[in-house]
Amino acid sequence: MSITIIKKGISDSIQDAGRYGYQHIGIQPGGYMDYLSAQLANYILNNAITNPVIEIHFPTSTFCFESENIICITGANFVPVLNEKSIAMQTPIHVNKGDVLQFLQPIHGRIAYIAFQGELTNDKWLNSFSYFAKRLDTGSTLEIVKNERTPKDPSILNNLFETIETKVFKQAAFQFIPGPAWNDLDAASIQQLLNTPFKTTLQSNRMGFQLTGPSLNLIRPKSYLSSAVTRGTMQLLPNGALIILMADHQTIGGYPNLGQIILVDLPRFAQLGNDSIIHFSLTNVDSAQQQYKSLQNRFTN
Amino acid sequence: MKENKNYTINDWHVQHLGDHAMVFLLPSIIDESLVDQIMQFNFFIESKKINGIKDIIPSYHSLTIVYDILLLQNTMQHSFACHDMIEFGNKLLLAFFNETIIVKENKIKNEIIKIPVCYAIEYGIDLKNLSEIKNINVDEIIKIHTSIIYNIYCLGFMPGFAYMGKVDALIQMNRHPKPRPLVYGGSVGIAGEQTGIYPMNAPGGWQIIGRTPIKIFDPIHLAKFKVGDRIQFYSIDKATYLATNEYPTI
Repeated sequence: MSITIIKKGISDSIQDAGRYGYQHIGIQPGGYMDYLSAQLANYILNNAITNPVIEIHFPTSTFCFESENIICITGANFVPVLNEKSIAMQTPIHVNKGDVLQFLQPIHGRIAYIAFQGELTNDKWLNSFSYFAKRLDTGSTLEIVKNERTPKDPSILNNLFETIETKVFKQAAFQFIPGPAWNDLDAASIQQLLNTPFKTTLQSNRMGFQLTGPSLNLIRPKSYLSSAVTRGTMQLLPNGALIILMADHQTIGGYPNLGQIILVDLPRFAQLGNDSIIHFSLTNVDSAQQQYKSLQNRFTN
Repeated sequence: MKENKNYTINDWHVQHLGDHAMVFLLPSIIDESLVDQIMQFNFFIESKKINGIKDIIPSYHSLTIVYDILLLQNTMQHSFACHDMIEFGNKLLLAFFNETIIVKENKIKNEIIKIPVCYAIEYGIDLKNLSEIKNINVDEIIKIHTSIIYNIYCLGFMPGFAYMGKVDALIQMNRHPKPRPLVYGGSVGIAGEQTGIYPMNAPGGWQIIGRTPIKIFDPIHLAKFKVGDRIQFYSIDKATYLATNEYPTI
């Protein structure tokens, strides 16, 4: 069984939960940008939720299935069609040998996921299929050993899709926890960060999203020793602009670390289109971890 | 001579870094005695094999752990009788200071890793400019760059890239304001008081003064260096460089 890319998209890749354990030697973790949508697709197919999936951006690749399989598409709505016929998202879809999967237009969101049934047997690097320098190219194939698991019965999903949809696409402020340089911001900048809208820009990719908005200032100029950053880190650039680090972020950063957006809000951040208006709000670790746990618990039955 | 300053538990503090990482911090200064203690604490945490810790990342004055929220909370409750992250962090520090006094003294490294560099003008593409700006001839720059034993303070920027210091003030130079679109793998550069080697072809803004034939990162053996290692460069001629070059020829 394999899936072949018959025409490559602008930036499609295989992603899983990422590669941890190597950041101390500078290897970025990678992994799904919107882990909730990726988990949902795997969950519906009755896969382990950490299975590799195909992460796609619009305009997407065109895929051909070399044998039958069951797939599930989640995340951004790019209007999926199988052999030119519209197909549903968040639903197990049976595909046959020779079927062609395309995506017609971006309706909402930035990133969609295609999960498939079976084990991917392509090469892993350091325990992960995610690799920052690798994109799916025309002629690439995903080699899959199919299993016979039955997809989840939709009746037991118990509004899971609606819960994830709300979490990933509904507008809300992005919650963050103050970071090491938070107290070095001047009072006016703190007010601006909390009360003024910011906007996403074209400078947005798997490494990070640069924002425009009020220019933020430190109380006094200060240089920081480089230290580890994470997915969600809010760095203040020398020109006063904010950049939010995403899955393929560098492991170490020397810019002021103002805070980190919390894990449950990162899928929604990853799905923002260019020129989206966003707000930030403060939260704390207990609340953030509680929100994360209650959402992850939805995948455990 | 290596200064052996001892930091006490009171010099450390623990802080959240968002909801899935936390950072242990020493005072914000560049000093190799900090790196020594950070690496000892790093090895200590590693040796505890704590289920839920995904990454342990040392750098200059900090040690960051990245964790899986669900797994680490479970481990904390069952193995450490502890519910709060910061409390857990402080317990780790306390255990480190109680258990490792002997290890700490013995862990001090002595090996110096020697790295060959060809400082020919065609590889050290910024050497001439550096020489003119600093008014120091190229031979003297090479002598200064190879005379110091550098300490590795962190790895980052790209896989295997090590930040080494301190470069002699006489040859310090800031990064190019605009990065070059391509710097060849093996290139040795200077950025302010730091020096480093590009592990692979990449865009970059460091002042390039030479090139090493030695691979410092590959996908199988991974990084040649780790934080806390000590490095010294030595000069080789072009023939030796060409005969020993491990990088794909361009």
